[in-house]
Amino acid sequence: MSLLWLRLAVILYGIAALAVLPAALYNRPRWRHLAMPAALGGAFFHFVSLAETLAAAHHALPVDTHETLSLLGLILAAAFLLLAARYKTVSFGIFLLPIAALLTLVPAFRPGHELLTYPFIRTGWLMLHIALLLIAYAALFLSLIASLLYLVQERRLKNKTAPRRSWLPPLETIDQIALKSLLFGLPCMTAGLLIGSVVALDTIGPSFFADPKVLLSVAMWIAYIAMIFIRRHSGLRGRRAVYLSGFVFLVVLAVWSANQLSAVHRFTTP
Amino acid sequence: MSERIESTLFLVGVNHTTAPIDVRERLAIPVSRLADATRTLVHQPGVREAMILSTCNRVELLTVYDGVDTPTFLRFLHDYLNLAPAAVEPHLYQFREREAVRHLFRVASSLDSMVVGEPQILGQVKESYTIAREVGAISSTESVRSVLDPLLQRAFSVAKKVRTETQIGSSTVSIASVAAELARKIFGSLSGKTILLVGAGKMSDLAARHLIQQGATTLLVSNRTEARAEKIADSLRTPTITTGVIPFAQLHEQSHRADIVITSTGSGQIFSAEQARTLLQRRRNKPVFFIDIAVPRDVAPEINKLEGCFVYDIDDLQQIAAQNQASRSREAEAAETIITEEVARYNARTTEASNVDAIRQLHQSAEALRQQELARTASRLASEPLSPAQQAAIEALTKSLTAKLIHSQLSNLREAPRSSDDIVKRDE
Repeated sequence: MSLLWLRLAVILYGIAALAVLPAALYNRPRWRHLAMPAALGGAFFHFVSLAETLAAAHHALPVDTHETLSLLGLILAAAFLLLAARYKTVSFGIFLLPIAALLTLVPAFRPGHELLTYPFIRTGWLMLHIALLLIAYAALFLSLIASLLYLVQERRLKNKTAPRRSWLPPLETIDQIALKSLLFGLPCMTAGLLIGSVVALDTIGPSFFADPKVLLSVAMWIAYIAMIFIRRHSGLRGRRAVYLSGFVFLVVLAVWSANQLSAVHRFTTP
Repeated sequence: MSERIESTLFLVGVNHTTAPIDVRERLAIPVSRLADATRTLVHQPGVREAMILSTCNRVELLTVYDGVDTPTFLRFLHDYLNLAPAAVEPHLYQFREREAVRHLFRVASSLDSMVVGEPQILGQVKESYTIAREVGAISSTESVRSVLDPLLQRAFSVAKKVRTETQIGSSTVSIASVAAELARKIFGSLSGKTILLVGAGKMSDLAARHLIQQGATTLLVSNRTEARAEKIADSLRTPTITTGVIPFAQLHEQSHRADIVITSTGSGQIFSAEQARTLLQRRRNKPVFFIDIAVPRDVAPEINKLEGCFVYDIDDLQQIAAQNQASRSREAEAAETIITEEVARYNARTTEASNVDAIRQLHQSAEALRQQELARTASRLASEPLSPAQQAAIEALTKSLTAKLIHSQLSNLREAPRSSDDIVKRDE
């Protein structure tokens, strides 16, 4: 049943991703009225599906790549809905909704069959560790998109074209979104890493700290803090902000791919 | 039996294209006198319903009157406004029936406005309608079917449709409003933003007022003559607006306080690229918007290349205003198509409704005549009463005869809705 909900969520995300294009790019309110309920419905069915899957299979713990990607997709869809509600803009949906649909597409049509290699006793904490880190990644991704959109809007304003057709939010709003999403992501990342460290210390012992993924995660955390510091204290915007966000995003991708080398993060057998 | 009376929809008026301002201002009726004027108009001989629309660009009398002859209303204008007919007559336009409907729809949709797409006109039409209803110049009772009430309701719907289905009102067309629109694109809400006015000029003053209307809360003024700066600051100060004066000598030390800088001195470059860099550093790279209305320019154009600085000079603003104006004209074409469709739809509905009334009346008349003849025949045969079977046969015969007699008339009326839309008829 959970697969059916997930497939429904993918279809709804797909509809929302298509409808958001005329809604944002051509400022067509009718399409907005289609995109918003579709995205909301998609997120709802996605949540139901994920909750059912995780509760049934692994004691509420996303253990394989498919489930983790699916959870990340849900977080991105939720981020779009939050932005639309708070800033009255659907522009971010142009990027967030197709990515949410793509991240959900594979788990919906080729679900993972990986099993836990050994039972975890602190699955609740591990779930929190994973969810908080995924939220932090999503926040960073959102900040990167916002920085790119800032650049586009800045170019448009400097090129002195008529502002009427602009599909982007005001420059200062985009900047706020970029900074606030980073500020929101920092405590999530910090808490996620701390929880992971405590659980790993308890189950594996101090040797976990030598794990490549753990070391990269610490580097990522430092880069994240450095980026926020630079942005806040020098008022970094525009092109240089994109470079900085892009660099930290690359570090995040490196951390993600380090799963292949990490012994600490291998929970499953294929 | 009710008597059918023909009534005609008629609109007469002047607007910015037909009358110079001195004629329009003599014709203009202030809102405070609109109720009285409308009441006077509806009491003119033959006038059944009336509404007066009076704005700075137009004065129009919309009436429904008995008969089909064209009234002039010049006497009303003469009596009420003390205007000689000769002074007004050459500037008047008149529309009847379908053309009056079209004109009203165009006016309400802001297609007939001086600035096409401006939103105020719909509110003004609604206000005139409300006043006309309040004074009883537009019928609101069930017993008397109103012509103006459904027409104006339709005009409001059409105006809404035009606004939602076209982008006619989505772009600004004045220099000051373009500047305000750009400021909103940079800062979003202007609430809490600071404007710095450098120099004094009509257009810069207007731009500052526009930005204040959009929510800017602090205004700083800098001028070579400090007394003049203080005068400007005083004129723009309100309980919600904080104003201040920056001595011209300290302009560069203090200009970083402003989010929006409007310059209009025309005395050469006040802001160079180097000064703008310093200003940005002091603002910790927060964006700053330069609106340079001066000729020669006060702000070095290369400042626009700096990240966080946006420079628009008078030519840039005029160019955007012209683009927006052209865009509105394109949207106006789409709006005209909507109006044409809506006029046709309205006329078809009106004619159909009046024909339904006519059909009902024809049926009633025929039935009354039949009953009358039946009663007369019954009285003649009082000595030899008919059997129930004979009575039923006569009943059927008369019904059949009546139906056949009125058949051709009914057919004509049923086919009429698409062809006859010139006269609005109603029963009393």
